[in-house]
Amino acid sequence: MKFDCKHIWRELSNYLDGEIPPNVRRDVEAHVAQCRHCAALLDSTHNIIVLIADERRLELPAGFSARLRERLEKELATSRPD
Amino acid sequence: MPELPTDKKDREFELIDRILSGYHEGFYELIAPYERRVFMTAYDILQVEADAEEVAQEAFLKAFRSLRSFRREAQFSTWLLRITVNEARMRLRKRREVSLDSVFANHEEAEYTPILLADWREIPAEAVLREETRRLLRECIAALPENYREIITLRDLNGLKNAETAEILGLSLGNAKVRLLRARVMLRDFFVERFHKKTRHRLSRKVTP
Repeated sequence: MKFDCKHIWRELSNYLDGEIPPNVRRDVEAHVAQCRHCAALLDSTHNIIVLIADERRLELPAGFSARLRERLEKELATSRPD
Repeated sequence: MPELPTDKKDREFELIDRILSGYHEGFYELIAPYERRVFMTAYDILQVEADAEEVAQEAFLKAFRSLRSFRREAQFSTWLLRITVNEARMRLRKRREVSLDSVFANHEEAEYTPILLADWREIPAEAVLREETRRLLRECIAALPENYREIITLRDLNGLKNAETAEILGLSLGNAKVRLLRARVMLRDFFVERFHKKTRHRLSRKVTP
C-alpha cells in the first residue's frame, strides 16, 4: 500500500510510541524518507514529546505533606473506609 | 507509572488489608510514594497550585474513604490517579459554569491537517534546552482543551502506558490513542505557531534600528 501524508498523520502517535505493526512502520519510514513535510512533522512532534517528558517539574509546595497529614489525621481517627 | 514488581504490589495489597482491618495509620505509608504524582496530575489539569493542593487532599481523603471499593485488578496508583483526575474535573466544572467539553466534542471526529508554515523548519534540538522554550511549552499545555491536557498529563508528563492512561480516563485503548494523537498534534501546532511567532518577533526587532 502506498502511503500518503494523511496516513502519516494518522499513524504519527503510534509510530512515535513504537506501537505499530512492522509493515506499517516500513511504510511510514519509506514515505518520510521522501516527504520533507512529514519528516519535519514527525521530528517536531517527537521533540515536543521529549521536551514534555524532560520537563523540570515544580517541586511539591513547601509543607505539602504536613498539611496533607493534618487534613487526613482527623478523618483517619474518626471514620472507617467503606 | 511502571508496573510494580509483584512482591511490591503484594506488600501494597497487604498494607491495604491491614488498613481496612483498622490500622489506619498505615494509610500514610500507602500514599507516601504517590503524593508528588497526585499533586502534579492535579496541577497539570488545573494550572493553579493552591487548587491542585486542595484537590490532591480531596483525592487522598476520598481514596481513604472508599478504600474498600478498590478492586485489585488495577494497581493502587492507577485507581488513585483516576480519583485525582475526577476530583480535578469536578473542580474545573465548578470553576466555570459552562463546561467547555461540548465546544470541543467534535475535535476527535475532525480530520487533522497540520499547520505547515511557509518558513517551515523543524523545532531545533538546541531550543529544547532553553528556559524560554520550556515556558512556551507550559503555556501551550495550559492552552489545550481539558480532555487533551488530561491525556498529555498522564501519558507524556507522567509517562504512564497507554493502557493505564485509558483505564484512568475510562476510555477504550483505541479511543485513548486517537485522543492522544489529537492532543499531541494540537500541542505541536500550538508550539510551532508560538515558537515561530517569537522567533520572527526577535528577528524583526534585530533588524529594526
